[in-house]
Amino acid sequence: MSIGTTAIRLDASAKVDGTALYPGDLPVDNALAAKVVFTDRPHARLVSLDVAPALAIEGVVEIVTAADIPLNEYGLTMFDQPVLVGHGTGKSNVPSDISRWEADQVAVVIAESDDAALAGARALAIVWEDLPISPDITAALSQEVLVHPENGRETNAYYHLKIRKGDMEAGWAAADVIVEGTYRVPHQEHAYLQPEAAVSYMEDDVVTVQVAGQWTHEDREQIAHALELPEDKVRVIYPAIGGAFGGREDMSLQIVLAAASLKLAGRGINRPVRCVWSREESIVGHHKRHRAEMTTKWGATRDGRIVAVEATAHLDAGAYNYTSNKVLANLHMSLTGPYNIPNATIDSYAVYTHSVPGGAFRGFGGPQGSFTSECQMNKMAEALDMDPIEIRRINLLHDGDDFITQTPMPAGVSIEQVIDALEEGSGWNRPWNTETSVESIKTLPAESAAIRRGRGMACALKNVGFTMGFPERCEATITLDGDDTVASAHLAHAGADVGQGAHTAFLQMAAEAVGIPLEDMTGTFSDTATSGDSGSASASRLTFMAGNSILGAVEEALKAWDEGDRPARGHFRYVPPPTEAIDAVTGRGNAVFALGYVADAVDIAVDIETGHIRVGTVYSAVDVGKAINPGLIRGQTEGAIVQAHGYALSENLRVENGRVLNPTFSGYLVPGSMDVPDRIETIIVEVADPLGPWGARGMAEMPFIPYAPAVVAALHDATGVWFDEFPLTPDRVLAGLRAAGVTR
Amino acid sequence: MHEVQDRTWSVERYERPDTIEEALELLNHHGERGRIIAGGTDLLLEMQRKVRSVEYLIDLSAIPGLDSIALEDGFVTLGPLTTHRDVVVSDLVVSSGLPLAQASLEVGSAQLRNRATVVGNVVTASPANDTISALLSLDATVTLSSVGGSRTIALRDFYLGVRKTVMTPNEIMTKISFPPLADGDRGMFAKVGLRSAQAISVIHASIVVSENDGLISGARIALGSVAPTVILAESARSLVGSRLTVDTIDACAVATAAEISPITDGRATAEYRKAVTEVTIRRMLHAIRTGVERERWPSRVTTLATDRSSEPMAAVSVGRDSEITLTINGKQTTGRNTTDTTLLDWIRENGTNSDGSALTGTKEGCAEGECGACTVHMNGQAVLACLVPAAAAHKTDVTTVEGLVSRADIEIKNTFVELGAVQCGYCTPGFVMCASSLVAEHDGLSPSEIRDGLSGNICRCTGYESLVESLLQVTGTQTAGEAGS
Repeated sequence: MSIGTTAIRLDASAKVDGTALYPGDLPVDNALAAKVVFTDRPHARLVSLDVAPALAIEGVVEIVTAADIPLNEYGLTMFDQPVLVGHGTGKSNVPSDISRWEADQVAVVIAESDDAALAGARALAIVWEDLPISPDITAALSQEVLVHPENGRETNAYYHLKIRKGDMEAGWAAADVIVEGTYRVPHQEHAYLQPEAAVSYMEDDVVTVQVAGQWTHEDREQIAHALELPEDKVRVIYPAIGGAFGGREDMSLQIVLAAASLKLAGRGINRPVRCVWSREESIVGHHKRHRAEMTTKWGATRDGRIVAVEATAHLDAGAYNYTSNKVLANLHMSLTGPYNIPNATIDSYAVYTHSVPGGAFRGFGGPQGSFTSECQMNKMAEALDMDPIEIRRINLLHDGDDFITQTPMPAGVSIEQVIDALEEGSGWNRPWNTETSVESIKTLPAESAAIRRGRGMACALKNVGFTMGFPERCEATITLDGDDTVASAHLAHAGADVGQGAHTAFLQMAAEAVGIPLEDMTGTFSDTATSGDSGSASASRLTFMAGNSILGAVEEALKAWDEGDRPARGHFRYVPPPTEAIDAVTGRGNAVFALGYVADAVDIAVDIETGHIRVGTVYSAVDVGKAINPGLIRGQTEGAIVQAHGYALSENLRVENGRVLNPTFSGYLVPGSMDVPDRIETIIVEVADPLGPWGARGMAEMPFIPYAPAVVAALHDATGVWFDEFPLTPDRVLAGLRAAGVTR
Repeated sequence: MHEVQDRTWSVERYERPDTIEEALELLNHHGERGRIIAGGTDLLLEMQRKVRSVEYLIDLSAIPGLDSIALEDGFVTLGPLTTHRDVVVSDLVVSSGLPLAQASLEVGSAQLRNRATVVGNVVTASPANDTISALLSLDATVTLSSVGGSRTIALRDFYLGVRKTVMTPNEIMTKISFPPLADGDRGMFAKVGLRSAQAISVIHASIVVSENDGLISGARIALGSVAPTVILAESARSLVGSRLTVDTIDACAVATAAEISPITDGRATAEYRKAVTEVTIRRMLHAIRTGVERERWPSRVTTLATDRSSEPMAAVSVGRDSEITLTINGKQTTGRNTTDTTLLDWIRENGTNSDGSALTGTKEGCAEGECGACTVHMNGQAVLACLVPAAAAHKTDVTTVEGLVSRADIEIKNTFVELGAVQCGYCTPGFVMCASSLVAEHDGLSPSEIRDGLSGNICRCTGYESLVESLLQVTGTQTAGEAGS
């Protein structure tokens, strides 16, 4: 069996030896250096840009500006951002002379060295007319300053989704208990260890970009669109990728470096161009997990049945849409959790502001929406004096139930089995660990009289794959070699290995499907020249989608083999059941084709005099359908939990007046080895997804989602105080406890 | 252009003289354009962030004897090259200057402590700098030397404001000195931060109390991150003449919090700083009263330094286009571009594997010493290559991840592979470098020692469990092997 085993990662040896090549490590002879210049203006009109002083700097070779971008517009799901701010060709409807974000790009200085490129960047003579800004959701909703007046809407709340399900009047009439809450959740920075980097060059008349991304073919499409090139004149290759988590889904260097190579080629200069961002450029210069504000009201009967939900959510999209409309859809569908809610009225809005764009990040709207639903459910359990698992059991979705979008759940609903596994695996019904200690001050013994302990749980569902009618597909090509029997096989696939181990899982699935040992399976990956479109490494979709594409390609190849082809080749494009956008009025629609389910439980200790929190043991039960590689699943679970731990406790991105104030690792605190939970227990549940390859479901985002509300529930269990905002920094915790009168 | 995009630094010349007289002459000659460098961990960041403009770096590390810790005429003395690492392994400081040892162990990571000096921490003059409070509570004096002679002043008279001191541009801090804690003296340092390692102080405090026949005869309470400079609290006086009791401790803690006016910043609110100062002082005085101030000092300290050479470095003078030579992974490597380049960039640009390919295993993740991805071994110590000027590594012996090929190192690498301690892999070389030092330094590592030893490195993918498990397996195997032999 090739699947179901912890096969060793293909790339691990090169990574421990230091020989794996990331974009910034690629050996490129005779390369020119590029500096991508940020506008440094949250909102301003470019009056004039004079490149002459920069070109006069010794070593500066060329400068790319808006005029060099034929169709100066960018956007994964809607074109609303100029590739470069400046006076452009005028072909796009997006006004290109406006900077709406401090890290909008205005020019690319190409030079003989990094030093010369920097000197050139300093010498650019730009005159700006600063404009008033809408720095956050509250300001933006006053509609005083519109971020995108060109879209014809009178509001910055540019995207609105609704749910109108059931009969609200009847729902409230049936409710014995009402719980209300307003929740504010923060930005989060991806903090992948490898800052953005890319190399671009011409291969004959094909512009080639080597970069760390999440979807080669989407990168190619965006480059081709802005530069008005046929797609076959653009090639995108991913070398080793130093983490992504959603943060590489949008473009950083892709389009501008391709434009640089084309401009150089136009002058007869055929030299590669290389650009590497610093950590600060990375944090300032790419999107974040959205901050959001949610107000909600839940009603339940005395016996714990949720009968009515009202909710309003606002997502800070920042200056450009990126994937905010898709993130909003996920948030929208998770505001009611994995529960069967008969009556609901929900309004969710994406709001433009002059702050850093929000975009894809592990969970993709799920963490924000689920924080709301899970805190509400935990508060309802308290109000009804019920166990948090008991009240959930009463309300869980099952096969055959309607989802909040008023269409039947995709088959294979497993949240109940996941909850069962968590209850059993964590020993929820037994007395819990009381050993967890918090050492607020390293040189002092823990102050036992100031320590309170508690535990909490939360659960969630999350879509696998694209939703709401976004075209979903995945291609694979298999080649079989041998004489009488298949001796070896080769897989060509574009799917990105961002660190999760996707390529290893691909080969395991291919070897399994072909029926050969894993060591006889080879692969070529992540190159638009050698593979068809895989879709992105996102939405916990790659194992599911790639697995199905591989199964199809192997079937095709085996047919060709049976017909005598040597080598025998099979190509397959897997397309799952179609989804649809939800109705603009009712929110009805078949929005998802597959779902994953997860539940987390934690115990914590809190020092009520310092506000420091220590998380003891984390149990994360996640339905993976079929564990293709259990070791990789454990790795994804532990990584997701620790990333969520930072989100819940320490990662405090300060964004004010359109600027990120702490774009460094000394100012933005990612958990280290001594900050993380004492122990993480991964509980693998295997309830097959009827559509999944071997039953497999996506899982890499799921453990993240319920973590923050589980910690908040544990903090409440410990102190009796609810926290509706995080990160739970010591000062926030202490202020909350003091306000509630919690003292020693 | 955005200010974060302009983070270069460049100097005219890097000088490493081998006598203090020569260093003083150079500094006197260059005046404000010159700056003394030892570890350089603060200075490099100050230059990159345009806090300080420097044209001439004068490195003291070729001058013999400046890294000593000694008992001189009844005082404990530190030299200008004494690192935080030197302090935490000094029995003298741990026994007779515990607050300084405790403060030093909370400065940065082990890699940083191998380079960063106590004098550097004192001279940088940030109110958050941990060793300043420790030294103030120990009633330290500092000696400032120039071509004109030396002066010795109390540390409490040294600071004028945020990052402002009485030091003149031609002076070098050549000595720190403090009286050892006597029999009746008790003291400790404590810090409240936002993470368990590499924390910048939200507040910190250092207390020394002298007792005579059960009565307090003297007390000093130093506080950091609550005012523009580290301060000595007036509240300490209230203790003198009384005993440490629940009541006197409480009164002192309340009075200490009442006399400070901290600010709100990105790390905490002013209200929090006041509240937690009170709690910290109360807990510290209780610890001193019950005699547990030493309890949390580790039974063995991790330094990630295996064979620190006590030999001073070679004297050199490096100009803008001078060549420098390093031994990298056993291979003599020569290159230019040395007065505006970190060791990290220099290795990546000039270092080669045996097949001629570039040594790109050493990674930049943050360029400020926070993530550990650039960790290399320099003369046997794990250091952060992003904070070492390339010229300061001239004539040193450097090992990168590509050069870790001993049996023990291969075992670490293989175990990382087998136990899934590698995901995106970008942080991995830095973890391998630290793991190599850690496993060589201690036998039979405990899980908490492993977490501590890896606390200077950030991984965003694995959650650290698989890294810890890997080293438990490696160290377990080694212990078993030794037991069997």
